[in-house]
Order: sequence, then structure tokens, then C-alpha cells
Amino acid sequence: MTATKPILLAEDNPRDAELALAAMEAEHISDKVVLCRDGAEVLDYLYCRGQFKARPRGNPAVVFLDLKMPKVNGLEVLRTIKADVKLRPIPVVMLTSSREERDLTESYALGANAYVVKPVEFNKFLSAVKELGTFWGVINEPPPEGCRSTH
Amino acid sequence: MESASNQHSQASPVEAERPQPAVIIPEGSSGAHRAFVAWFYKLTIEQRVLTGFSLVFVGILIVSAISYYNTNILLTNSGLDGRSHDLIQLLNTMDDAMSEAEDVHRRYLVTGEASYLEAHKKVVRQKPTFTAYLNDLIRESPEQQQRAGLLDRMMDRQLSAESKATAQFQEGGFRAVKKIAFEGAGKRELGVIHQIIMEMDAHERQAVGRRVVASAAGTRTTVALLGIGALLQLVLLAWVYYFIRHDITERRRVAGELQRRGELLEAANKELEAFSYSVSHDLRAPLRHIDGYAALLRKSVEQSLNEKAARYLQTISDSATQMGQLIDDLLVFSRMGRQEMLHTTIHLDQLIKHILSDLRLDLQGREISWTIAALPAVQGDPSMLRQVFMNLIANAVKFTSTRPIARIEIGVVEDSGSREIVLFVRDNGVGFDMQYAPKLFGVFQRLHRADEFEGTGIGLANVRRIVHRHGGRAWAESVPDKGATFYVALPRRGHGV
Repeated sequence: MTATKPILLAEDNPRDAELALAAMEAEHISDKVVLCRDGAEVLDYLYCRGQFKARPRGNPAVVFLDLKMPKVNGLEVLRTIKADVKLRPIPVVMLTSSREERDLTESYALGANAYVVKPVEFNKFLSAVKELGTFWGVINEPPPEGCRSTH
Repeated sequence: MESASNQHSQASPVEAERPQPAVIIPEGSSGAHRAFVAWFYKLTIEQRVLTGFSLVFVGILIVSAISYYNTNILLTNSGLDGRSHDLIQLLNTMDDAMSEAEDVHRRYLVTGEASYLEAHKKVVRQKPTFTAYLNDLIRESPEQQQRAGLLDRMMDRQLSAESKATAQFQEGGFRAVKKIAFEGAGKRELGVIHQIIMEMDAHERQAVGRRVVASAAGTRTTVALLGIGALLQLVLLAWVYYFIRHDITERRRVAGELQRRGELLEAANKELEAFSYSVSHDLRAPLRHIDGYAALLRKSVEQSLNEKAARYLQTISDSATQMGQLIDDLLVFSRMGRQEMLHTTIHLDQLIKHILSDLRLDLQGREISWTIAALPAVQGDPSMLRQVFMNLIANAVKFTSTRPIARIEIGVVEDSGSREIVLFVRDNGVGFDMQYAPKLFGVFQRLHRADEFEGTGIGLANVRRIVHRHGGRAWAESVPDKGATFYVALPRRGHGV
């Protein structure tokens, strides 16, 4: 059952994170969300290291990636995920404020599964996050791999 | 002004030939001098170089003329010297011949030897030749001619006296001429002849001396003139060289400066790009938060919210949304200026058809009478030109919303010249006052209040920017409350940028 798979949300801005969580709360999927506040934390989670050493194994159902993040930015995280055979199947959705063409081009070139520009209007943001959460967290069937089980 | 300066400039090399002409400038001419300097600094580099070369040319001409004149004098003098030399020699010969005649004649009288008489007769025969040659050599000197006349008479008298004595000798023998033989028949005349020849010789030697002095002076003048001329040409050429050199240095400096500015501009452009990226990303986040938290606040206090408080919250949301729209529009506008342009053939008929089909949702519930002429194909960037006509048509639709029947016409101005294609979008909407026409295409310029017609005021700014990037023009004409016409002129194929 996919319900057990978490949704990884990489968002450095706590307000954006709170708004996104508030949006998912309405759909009752907020308890599945794991929040990472920079790119390094995302990689720690995916590789089960650091503060996530003891986490239950298994890849997340989806990763929502912000582009601009401290330490390791979204594009670097995306590059790492898509370069790793074990992580590559995880759907990655870019969720960002940037509408710049080069960001779009580069994200898709690196293998992003979707690219969503955060709308300014909360209602639109709300529906976007709801739909994204529902689709990727509930409707979409994730790939059958587990977490890195090599050790 | 100009002709006066020209005279001045042409006069200057002549002046320079005289010693120190430029050092002491009379009070009266300093005004003209200053005017010349002022005039000179107004000239372009080409004109300055031309002035310099003209002065060099005039200088060469003057030096050449004077040298030619002096050389001519030298040549004439050398011709005259040759003649004087001949004359002196002739006089010498004549002197000798006359002495010889007297001498041999006397010997004849004493000895009766025929060879002496023959020698005398030879001199008598030569005499006309001498006279003719002498007259030829002195034909330009009246003074010498006078002496030559006297000389000729004296020679005749000497020879005729001798001839007479010869005749007496042949008649009466030595005894008849004994006295004459001792005294010499033409001895007196011969003395006069010596005298005259010496005078003529002295006179000719004086003339030669005078000419030698004159020639030497002429040669010195020529040499000095050539020296000064060469120096002057050198100075002028150096002057011209200085100007050309100066100009080249200046051009190099300007080119360097241009390159430096180009680099600065590129850096500024990069900075602007980074800025707009950060605007796009960072400025939107707080707006999203304002709207988001306003919505969350409304949700959490929904029960106790009175009408006023609800309106306040709504205004907060609306303002945030509006600012988001402004930022988006500004980004599009800035991108329009930087974006690489494509150059393809665009069929405007197709373009307009697509735009109208995209607008069909906005057109629901509106009654619009469309008049669309057959439109030509133009060269340009498809997405940019699409934006142009999208904006113009959307404006026409927007500003006719108060009309029961909106009339919108899209067409091309016939006979608009060969250089450009002029297209127009005409409506019967509210129009605008022509006095505000210059503001129409500015960024965030609006001629209507926000509660009359919505919009951020970026559309026409985009139109103008795109049309300018295509090398064209955009303008509008209107009568308030009667409608407006917006024109877009695009360069024809081959005339574009």
C-alpha cells in the first residue's frame, strides 16, 4: 500500500513549508510529509545518514524540490538523484518560484518528472499543492524499489 | 571669414621667407590671427590635413617659381658671358691683326718682299669679317657700338694709308716712301685703334664682372630659398603628420573607450539578468506568504469575521495578487529586451486566426463585428509578434467593452511606401485624448482608472519594445469616445535590422 510511503518536501522557507503543509492538511496527507530545510538534508534522508540514520527504510513516494536552497541547491540534488541507479526511479517534482527558461530547461534536462511554478495566489497554490500531493502521494504508483538495502 | 583666412594661410609661407615675420605681429593683425586659429580649430581632421597639404603645395609652387626665375637669369648670364669672352678674344685678335698689318707693311716698304705685301693684303681682306663679327657681338650694347664705329673708321684709315704708301712704293721705289717707311704709314691710327680696343676690352670685362656678382647673388638667393623652402615644407609636413597622428591616437582612444563601455554594458546586462532572476524568485515568495497567511487567517477566524474585516482581508489578498501580476509583467518586459530574436517568415493571417481562437473564452458574451483584411507575410520573431498582436487585439476588445456592438478592424495600410509594411488595429472603443499619446507606450502608463478597465499598463510598452527590436515603429491615433487605431510599421524584407 502506497500510504506508507512518505512525501519528501524540500523547502528552506518555513513560511512556504507551513503553507504547503496547511494545504496538504486539508487533504489529510500532511502526516506523510517529511520536511527537509536544505539540499544536504534531502541527500541525508535519501542515503539514510546523519539525522535520518535510523529512519524506516524505503524511498519516498515523491520528492518536491525547491530550486533555491542553502548548502546544496535543488538542481544539484536533482543531478545526484538522477545519477544514482537506486534513487533514479523516485519521481522528482520541481516546486519553485522561478519561471526562468534556463531553470526549466536545465531541470528537464537533468530528468525532473514535473516542474511547477508556485502561484502567488494562495487559492491557486492551495489547489496546486493539493493536487500534487494527492497525485504523487496517493494516486501515482511508485516504483517497487526499497531503500538502499546494501548494508 | 573663410576667404580672409585663406588669404592669410596662403600668405604665411611668403611671410616666412622674410626674416622673422611671425615674431612681431602688428596689433591690427592679431585679431585676424586669433580668428584664423579659432577657424582652424573648428575644422575636421580631413580639412586640417587638406589645409596643411595646400600650404605645402603653395610653398613648393613659390619656391619653384623663384628658383626657375633665378636659374633663367643664370642661364642668360652664362650666354652673355660666352659672348663677352668671344668679344674679348676678337678684340685681341683684331688688335694683333692691325699691329701685324702695320708691321708687315713697313717690312714690305723696306725690303719689297712680296710675301709681306701678301700678309698685309690678308689683313685687309679679313677686316670686313672682323667688323661684321664685332657688330654682331655688340649688337645689344650701344656704348660699344659707338666705339666700334670709331674703331672701324680708324682701321679703314690705317689700311687705306698703308695701301696708298704701297702704291707710292710700287711707283717710285723705296726712295719715294723712305720717310713713311721709317715713321709707319698708319702708326697714328694704330695708336688710336689700340686705345679703342683697350677701352672696349675694359668695358666688356667690367660687364662680365658685374654679371658674375649678380649671378653669385642669384645663386646664393636660390640656395637660401631652397633651404628655407625645404625647411618650411618639413615643418608643414611635420604639422600635418602631427594632426594625422593625433587623430589616429584619438581614434584608438575612442575605440578603446568604446570597448571598455561595451564590457561595462555587458557586465551591467549580466547583473540585470541576475537581478531579474532574483526578482522572479525572491520577490514572489513574500507575496505568496501575504496571500497565504491572509487566507489561513480568514479560515481560522471565519465564524467571528465581520463584513469589514472580511473586506480588509480580501484587499490584502487582492493587492498581493496584483503585485504578483506586476512582477510577472515586468519580467516579461525585461525578457523581451534581452531574448534572442528569431527571424522567420510569419503569415499574419494565420497568426491573427490563432490569437482570436485563444481569446474565444474572453469573447464570450460579447458582440463584436470583426473586419479582417488579407494580411501579408512579414519577417520576424513569431512569439514576439504574436505578443504584439495579442496585446493590440486584447486592448481593442477591452476598450470596446462598454459598446453594445464592438467593431474591430485589422488591416494593412495600402501604399505605405516600399520600405515598410504598416498594419493597424482599429476599434470603436472609448479611445483616448491625443495629448496623452506620448505616454501611451510607456511602462506602467495607463490612461484609464483601474476601476474602469483592468490591466497593469505593460502591454503597449511591450508592443513598442518588440516592434523597435524588429526595426519598426508603433504609434496610435484616436478621438476620445470614437475609437482608436494602433499602427505597427515593420520593415519589408531586406530592409530590416
